Amino acid sequence: MNQVALELKEVKKSIGKKEIIKGLNLQVNQGEVYGFIGPNGAGKTTTIRMIVGLMKIGSGDVRILGESIQSNYKEAAKNIGAIVENPELYPFMTGWQNLLHFARMYQGISKKRIKEVVSLVGLEKVIDDKVGKYSLGMRQRLGIAQAILHNPAVLILDEPTNGLDPAGIREIREYIRQLAIQENVAVIISSHLLSEIELMCDRIGIIQNGELITERYVNDEADQTEAKNKVVFEVGQAEQAANILKDKDLSFERDGDQIMVNLSRQEIPGIVKALVEHNISVYCVTETKTTLEDQFLEVTGGNVIE
Amino acid sequence: MSKFLKLIYNELYKIYVRQSTWVMYILLALIVLGGAILTTTFDDITTEYSDNWREELTQENEKLLNQNTEMAENSGPEFTVEYNSGEIAKNNYYLEHDIRPLNYGAWQYVQENAGLLSFVSLFTIIIGASVVASEFKWGTIKLLLIRPISRTMILLSKFSAVLVFALFSLVFVMLSSLLIGGIFFGFEGINPHIVLEKTEGFTYVPLIGETLSAYGYNIINLVMMTTFAFMISTIFRNSSLAIGLGIFLMMGGSMVVGIFRDYDWAKYILFANTDLKQYETGNVLMEGMTLGFSITILIVYFIVFISLSWVFFNKRDVAGQ
Ligand SMILES: Nc1ncnc2c1ncn2[C@@H]1O[C@H](COP(=O)(O)OP(=O)(O)O)[C@@H](O)[C@H]1O
Ligand SMILES: [Mg+2]
Repeated sequence: MNQVALELKEVKKSIGKKEIIKGLNLQVNQGEVYGFIGPNGAGKTTTIRMIVGLMKIGSGDVRILGESIQSNYKEAAKNIGAIVENPELYPFMTGWQNLLHFARMYQGISKKRIKEVVSLVGLEKVIDDKVGKYSLGMRQRLGIAQAILHNPAVLILDEPTNGLDPAGIREIREYIRQLAIQENVAVIISSHLLSEIELMCDRIGIIQNGELITERYVNDEADQTEAKNKVVFEVGQAEQAANILKDKDLSFERDGDQIMVNLSRQEIPGIVKALVEHNISVYCVTETKTTLEDQFLEVTGGNVIE
Repeated sequence: MSKFLKLIYNELYKIYVRQSTWVMYILLALIVLGGAILTTTFDDITTEYSDNWREELTQENEKLLNQNTEMAENSGPEFTVEYNSGEIAKNNYYLEHDIRPLNYGAWQYVQENAGLLSFVSLFTIIIGASVVASEFKWGTIKLLLIRPISRTMILLSKFSAVLVFALFSLVFVMLSSLLIGGIFFGFEGINPHIVLEKTEGFTYVPLIGETLSAYGYNIINLVMMTTFAFMISTIFRNSSLAIGLGIFLMMGGSMVVGIFRDYDWAKYILFANTDLKQYETGNVLMEGMTLGFSITILIVYFIVFISLSWVFFNKRDVAGQ
C-alpha cells in the first residue's frame, strides 16, 4: 500500500555558476500529500522541472515508482501528472478540446474518463467554452484535470492555490484528499504560503535556497517524539554542565545559567540523569516547541513577499 | 490511430482550429478568384480558336509583327518585343506542325497559378516558424514535454504537420484554380497538350504533366525555406525572427546568389540550388553545376537544418523565461 512513489536522491542543479538546488533528498509515498513549502526563489519550481523532465538533473536521480526519469524517461513519465508554474493551456481551444488534445498523447484514455475528470474538478458547465475566457481558478482546475487524465501515480501541482479565493482553495483541498485516499495517488503540492496548503498535507517539507531545511508530519503525535526541539536547562553549575554536554558531542548555547541544546523528547531524561550524577543542581528544564509556522516564519523572515 | 499519427493529428488540429489559418485560405481563394476575373476582363489570351484556327493564327502573327515594328520605331519596351517574337514563333510552330492550339481553360489556369506557391511558401513559413515557438510563448510546451513521448517524436510530429499543411495548401491552390478556372474558362478536355519552349526548342507536351512539374519545382524552395524557418524558431524560440528571416531569404535568396555569382563557392549557396528547373531549361546558373550536385547540396542543407533543430530542441532545458 504505502510504496514509495517519488524519490529524489541528492538532486543538484546549477544554472550558470549558481547552484540553485543543493542536494535534495525526498521521498513521497503512495496516498500521501506532501507540501513543498518555501519562499519565492527557493527552488521549488526548479525541483519540479527536474522531476518531470523539463530540466536535466545536474546530479543525483529522480525515481517514479522506482523508474529513473533520466534513464527510463517514458516509463517514469507515464506515472506523472503535473502543472508546472501557471496552468497554461491553449487559449483558442475549449476546455474539452484541450483535454482531448492531451488525452491523445496517451494510450487508451476514453471519453468517459475525460468526462469523469471534468466532473471531478467541477467544470461541466464551462467545458465547451474557450479557455481564453476562463478565470484563473477555472484554468487551475482544467490544469488539474489534464494532470490526472491518465491516472498517474504521482501528481505534482506547482502553486495550485495561486490566485484562488478561500472557497476555491477548500475545493482543491477536497479533491486532492480524495485523489490521495481513493486512488492512492502521491501528491506533491508546492506553495510559498504555508497557511494555504497546510490543511491538505500529510507532511510538509520546507525548502530554502535550494536546501530542504525541515520535514514534518502535520498533526501527528508520532513525529513529536522524534523531532528535535530546543531544550533549556537552568542549572547551578553551568560551566561543569557545559563540559558534560561537550563530552557527549552535543552542540549547545550558553547564556548565564541557562544552557540551550537541541534534543528530541526521548533524549531529555538521559541528559538530566547525567547532570544529576555529576552533582549539578538542575532547577528547571523547559522544552520550547517550535511549530511549523515558527520555522517557516524563521525561514521567510516572517515577511512573505507575494 | 498509431501514436505518431495522433501526434500529427494534434498538431494539425492546433493549426486548423485557429482563425488566422482560415484567413490564409480565404486569401488564397480570393487571389485565385481575382486572377480569373482579371484574366477574363483584360487578357485576350482567352481568344477561342475556331475551326479557322490557321487563319486566326496568321492574323494574330501579323498583328504582333505590326506591333513590333511600331515599337521599334518608337523605341518601345524591349520585353514586349521579345514576348511578341516568342508568341509568333510559337504560333508558327502550331502552323508548321498542323497542331490546333488549345483553347484557354482550367488546366492552363492551374498551371499558370504555380506562381501562387510563393504565397503557399509564405504561409507555410509562418506556420513553420510558429509551430514550436508558439508553444513556448503560450507556456504549453511544458504540458507537451511531460508526456511519455520523446522530444524527438514531438519535434518530428510538428515538422510533419507543417509539411502536411504545405501539401494541403498546395492542393487547395490547385483544386480552387481548377474549379474557378473551370467556371470561368471551361475545361480543355481529358488529356490536353500544349506547345512549350524547352531546351531543345518548341515541344508539344501533355499539360497535366507540365502542371505537376511546375508545382513540383516550386515545392523545393518551399520545403527548404520552411525547414529553415522551423530551425530558426526552434533554436531561438521566437517566431517573429524566424518569419522575418524566412521571408527575407525566400525573396532575397536569388539576389544573394547574384551578388556572389562571380565566386566559385557561390554554387554551394542554398539558393543557387533550389531552382532545379534550370537543368530542364538548360539555363544553368553557374558552370559546373549538375542536377546531382544540386540535389546533394539540398539534402546536405536539409539535414543540417533538421539536425540543428533536433539538437537544440532535445538538449535544452525548458526553464522559465
Ligand atoms: N532559467 C533560469 N536561469 C537562471 N536562474 C534561474 C532560472 N530559473 C530559476 N532561476 C533561479 O533559481 C532560483 C529558484 O527559482 P524557482 O525554482 O523558480 O523558485 P520557486 O519556484 O521556489 O519560487 C531563483 O533564485 C531563480 O532566480
Ligand atoms: Mg515557483
